[in-house]
Amino acid sequence: MSTHTSESRVVRGACPQDCPDTCAFLYHVEDDKLVEVTGDPDHPMTRGGLCVKLKNFAEHHYNPDRLLHPMKRVGPKGSGHFQRISWDEALTEIKARWTGIIDQHGSQAIMPHGYLGHQGTLNGLTTGDAFFNRLGSTVAEKTYCESGSSTAWLMTVGPTGGLDVESLAFAKYIIVWGMNMTNTNLHAWPFVLEARKNGAKIVVIDPVRTRTAKQADWHIRIKPGTDGALALGMINVIIEEDLYDHDYVEQYTLGFDELKSRAAEFPAERVAAITGIPADDIRTLSREYAKCQPSAIRQGVAVERSPGGGDAIRAITILPALVGAWRHVGGGAVEMPIWEFPFNFAHMCRPDWIKPGTRVVNELDLGQALTGEMKLDPPIQSLFVYNSNPVSQAPAASKIVDGLMREDLFTVVSELFITDTARYADLLLPATMQAEQYDLMVTWGHLYFMLNQPAIEPPGECIANVDLFRRLAKTMGFDDEYWDLSDDEMLLRSYDWSSPKLEGITLDVLKERGYMRLNVGLPHERAPHAKGEFPTPSGKCEFKASAAAKGNFVAEVWRSGYEQMQSGAPVDAVPNYIASFESEHADPALAGRYPLNMVSPKPHAFLNTQYANEPVQQRRQGDQTILIHPVDAARRKIESGTSVRVSNDRGSFEGRAEVSEDVMEGLVMTNVGHWPSRNRTGTAVNSTTPDRHCNLGQAGTFSDNLVDVERV
Amino acid sequence: MPHVVTDNCQRCRFTDCVTHCPVQCFHADDERVYIDPEVCIDCSACVPICPVHAIYDSLDLPDAYAHELVINAQRSHLLPVISAHLPPLSTAESRRAELGL
Repeated sequence: MSTHTSESRVVRGACPQDCPDTCAFLYHVEDDKLVEVTGDPDHPMTRGGLCVKLKNFAEHHYNPDRLLHPMKRVGPKGSGHFQRISWDEALTEIKARWTGIIDQHGSQAIMPHGYLGHQGTLNGLTTGDAFFNRLGSTVAEKTYCESGSSTAWLMTVGPTGGLDVESLAFAKYIIVWGMNMTNTNLHAWPFVLEARKNGAKIVVIDPVRTRTAKQADWHIRIKPGTDGALALGMINVIIEEDLYDHDYVEQYTLGFDELKSRAAEFPAERVAAITGIPADDIRTLSREYAKCQPSAIRQGVAVERSPGGGDAIRAITILPALVGAWRHVGGGAVEMPIWEFPFNFAHMCRPDWIKPGTRVVNELDLGQALTGEMKLDPPIQSLFVYNSNPVSQAPAASKIVDGLMREDLFTVVSELFITDTARYADLLLPATMQAEQYDLMVTWGHLYFMLNQPAIEPPGECIANVDLFRRLAKTMGFDDEYWDLSDDEMLLRSYDWSSPKLEGITLDVLKERGYMRLNVGLPHERAPHAKGEFPTPSGKCEFKASAAAKGNFVAEVWRSGYEQMQSGAPVDAVPNYIASFESEHADPALAGRYPLNMVSPKPHAFLNTQYANEPVQQRRQGDQTILIHPVDAARRKIESGTSVRVSNDRGSFEGRAEVSEDVMEGLVMTNVGHWPSRNRTGTAVNSTTPDRHCNLGQAGTFSDNLVDVERV
Repeated sequence: MPHVVTDNCQRCRFTDCVTHCPVQCFHADDERVYIDPEVCIDCSACVPICPVHAIYDSLDLPDAYAHELVINAQRSHLLPVISAHLPPLSTAESRRAELGL
């Protein structure tokens, strides 16, 4: 007879998701089982709340559909028929196939495809970079999100953390520009509400009347892709009416005269015609923004998802310097405070292993790259997918599926579940979930280092990504010291721990406390650019960007640390308004056939596709729903609940219509994230989106998407 | 699918929920609070905090409280937002005892 004593533990962790909030977790473990995950109430930014997406995070670890062992395909490509194999068999197969491909085509015939399915230093965005650089594969440019904003930000203000979201509490005027914060930056919202309590006005600029817009003091509806015109129009009003901060502009900015000339091309009436915002509203917004100091802008990723998105972000990023908002605590702009973290990309990505001249293929062009539409020599013969799900998340998804069906393509996918992309794999490798692994999280929405400590053992034969690439390196015969480093040794080399920003912060202290704030000023006193000090070539906020001389580029973090083979496409030194490709003005014939512009923001109950396979989250999110304006709906005899098909020349998908004035006439909205294979047609919104790029940073143009909607 | 305040709040109105809500979705009258379904973001921060277990995720709402979905939506739109903790009603403790909580 045995006796059993229940053992309970609480382990500190952090959210793994691609979200700016990176919440502090407490894992509650009983008898080695994860029973609950709660927020840590002591964390100053995330304050103990989690979000709807993480509701059943503990149970998610025990989802019966989890991939627990390596598998090999036993049916036709895409059939979803797999058979369990051992890790040894999987690694042996990879080595044999890759060696053959390298012998025949060269190592660049292998392409990795990873993104931010996990956000850790060890297991996240850069987890495979060193391995693939060592292998000599094609360098994958990972520009799903924020890359256009990154380039625009770096060109204008340099790699600064900018305004801390916690400092928003001290602002008197807050513009949330292209972001549904209560959906995608929830834990920053209480600081906005705190500011409002102290008298601040909250303005939301968004084409859609989102849950966040509904809470604003003023919701300004803007046509998608026209943000650059609005920002330039605001600059024009502010200069014309002499509302700018002469002293700040004189001392701390570069290129005022050129900016003034450019902005003069955007009088309020012209901007009104472009954006759909009444000219008087543009003037009022400009005056209030300039006069109510400190004024703050929370800029969202949505702005970059149009052809002129990069220049739009540059124009928006100019505004705080023009009005002197940076002088004040709570003034400025929030983009990604990630630039404050002293990364050592030289270790994390090992760009020194990239052979000079190695080519770059952008991940958003995956369909073109796999199908031969993009002329590549050698062609891609093997795709290795980790931390990502391009069949759902990349544009022109049908083209990607065509590519993945190629019999001669050797596809390996490391995953948690058999996703829409994993279905097409030749080999599947099982990955760990967050409670099962160790990592120092990379945070891009606040200023805390967050350590995630494993709370439970991995199930089956799941391994962390960092171990996956160690195993692959050994399999391929790499004998570098790098592959023998422990997790902590990797972390110690991944940051400059001697930086004053990390003074007092060590892994040992993090293991005890879970999180620590960087030494970059506290929220109630931080004003990083009160006296200029922008980390740009001139040391000033560059209205006229020095970096424009080298042409369009992608920041090294998004391309494995590689600096060569940048696009270099011409960039105007002063931001301009670049119109959409798909509009009545730009392409009347296309707009005649497909008169509705579709935007596809993030879902409420899923994190992209993650959790969209959980029944409780499916019930909460509901079916694939297409919001359509009453006028557009009536023309098509569509009512709420009608089954509809959304289509264009690229593809189609189906869903349920919801007739709503939350979208403007001419605009339709659906969420990305529903698994295509779970929709009736096996497709979702990205079957219709274009595989083009915004003018900066090779971001996608997901919002520049003309479609039509019809009853099924 | 928002969260819903139910009848248990009646004559209590402890409002601990308000201090844990990240989006200010609570509205109140002289008797109880209501959740604005257009503002609630389903985070559930309020659920374990309520001393009288008055708040449900609508996915878990007992049938007996189904009518509260409409009551919360209608009343919240007519009443002011409560953004700070209010003193509980004078009947709160007796009501809690009555509920056996």
